[in-house]
Amino acid sequence: MGPSFVTPYALWADTPVSALRAADHLLLALAAELALPEGTFACTHLIRGDRPRVALSFTLPSEPLLRTAEERLTAQGYEVTPGVPDEVGRAVVYPGADSLNGTVTVGELLTRSAIDRVTVLGSPGQPPAGQTLLTHGHVRPQWQGDELVLAAMPAVGGTLVPFEVPDPTPCCADH
Amino acid sequence: MVDQVRQGAKHGMDWLVITDHGSATHAKIGMDKVNLDIRAARAAYEDTLVFQGLEWNIPGAEHATVFVHPGTNEVSVLKQFETDYDDSVKGAGDSTPANEALAIAGLAFLSDQVRRRKVKDALMLANHPARRGVDSPHEIRAWRDASPASHQIAVGFEGAPGHQAAGLPAPLGPGRARGIYDNNPSANSFAGYPLESYRTWGGFDWMTATVGGLWDSLIAEGKPWWITANSDSHQVYADTAVRGPGGSFEGNGRYEDPIYGGQIDITQGDYWPGQYSRTHVGSDGFSYAAVMDGIRAGRIWVDHGQLISGLDVRVSGGGRWSTLGGALHVKRGTKVTLTVDVALADGPNWAGFLPKLAKVDVIQGDVTGPAADRDTFTAPTARVVRSYEVNKPTGTVRLTYDLGRVDHPVYVRLRGSDGNRSAPGALGAAVDPAGPAIDVVGDADPWKDLWFYTNPVWVLPS
Repeated sequence: MGPSFVTPYALWADTPVSALRAADHLLLALAAELALPEGTFACTHLIRGDRPRVALSFTLPSEPLLRTAEERLTAQGYEVTPGVPDEVGRAVVYPGADSLNGTVTVGELLTRSAIDRVTVLGSPGQPPAGQTLLTHGHVRPQWQGDELVLAAMPAVGGTLVPFEVPDPTPCCADH
Repeated sequence: MVDQVRQGAKHGMDWLVITDHGSATHAKIGMDKVNLDIRAARAAYEDTLVFQGLEWNIPGAEHATVFVHPGTNEVSVLKQFETDYDDSVKGAGDSTPANEALAIAGLAFLSDQVRRRKVKDALMLANHPARRGVDSPHEIRAWRDASPASHQIAVGFEGAPGHQAAGLPAPLGPGRARGIYDNNPSANSFAGYPLESYRTWGGFDWMTATVGGLWDSLIAEGKPWWITANSDSHQVYADTAVRGPGGSFEGNGRYEDPIYGGQIDITQGDYWPGQYSRTHVGSDGFSYAAVMDGIRAGRIWVDHGQLISGLDVRVSGGGRWSTLGGALHVKRGTKVTLTVDVALADGPNWAGFLPKLAKVDVIQGDVTGPAADRDTFTAPTARVVRSYEVNKPTGTVRLTYDLGRVDHPVYVRLRGSDGNRSAPGALGAAVDPAGPAIDVVGDADPWKDLWFYTNPVWVLPS
């Protein structure tokens, strides 16, 4: 898909949600309600400190679309701030995200989506374009500078999987 | 209870700690009930020391093993501790400054109970420290420093987590991440930890597995901080027993006794105590106090899969010597030598094969004093200074490493492996050319990737 084109038309909303999975759910529900246009990036941001929680940012293709999103979020009671809270957002909604299901090759992933680069934990460099990646329907790349980067790791059968799993073991699940 | 203790005894455990998980119900009802079971187990298995403890939900952080010397107040002290300082009881899970302070207060409480002789001794060892990124470097340092150095309560963390069968491949294994290390950064995690820290490396936690990483940064301060390797045995891989039906943990403070499940359960990721992971403590005698003293002194090495059967480590110079956890004090410029006698595996392990030690690495770093930044998690001078290939199937191997004339404070520690899987370390091949490799999701047979690690010995010239 080529380098991600990110506009300056961004805003973010604080949430009371501290769990990432719940934040994803809220973000996707809001994204559906806001009827976000193609080309939108919606990210989670971790707010640490006295009240750890997750903030949500939306980066839209144009200023009028930003205004519409802002009005709708404000109408829902969200306090909206211009810009993004930090530069390391974890993207939940991004161009091509819906096309990343089942098993894809790294090349297909880069072609179909706004993800710029794939890294593999524990290995230098980048995986070859033909390397397969089992998405589990859960692909959450993260901004690093001006690149959207997916961290992956080796998995059974010589495939890769995204670093982040859809259902990590809860903290206090008897372990 | 009897399952854990008899299996631990069968698998060679001279001592073990029963650590039911902290909760309001456990504090109120469960602690008393399990004490009765523990007392019965102590009577039935006289050759196995059975400590009572709990898996403490550290406020603002992960879990920890907290345990005390047996005695008339073992239950009351643990109950008071759990009631006042467990994050699930206190609703103190978030990584906030207030919750971090509550954890320090909890360790100070334990220290005070020992000082006032309510219990003879108490220890805390942090569990699966890198699993969710919520044990920040400054919290670990604060736990270490929460009690007087003369009788430290929090003395270390798991070098390797339990749940080592979790990565056995499906369909005959759980097919998950080794150690159940499958989490990711959150609003409660330490922002500085890389994604690599959330996974195991050769079955070990990233804090320990990284040469020049967090553990080395603690050792480089010249203060005690030890590693252990525990089973975290809840429900065991391929066991035929399952939790009994009915009952209510909320009402009874315990689950029902296990019943026969009619088939092996391959969804569970744990091993019995001693079946795979072992913490070897140099103890002066067979007593609860001696084991706790040995742990506090750091006379500990750990292994997976019975990779080796014994270890004698001496750092000598100037007519003196010191071993694991100790410090050799010598005059500046004294010639110092590390001598290691490794007793190779002396029989098949619990997977039925004779493990073969392929190599031993000596890791050395400078002692640089207290970290100015309490969130430091690198030690730039630590590196593998020597690797020895071991080409012998049985018996004893002697390795000697010449530290030369030592003119500044340093430490050495050891690591060995079966040589099956390795990769350059996170800080580069110049630091660690063949360290543990990241474990493959869903394909990490722990018996095919065995390591041992020792605690450090310091050399302090003056």
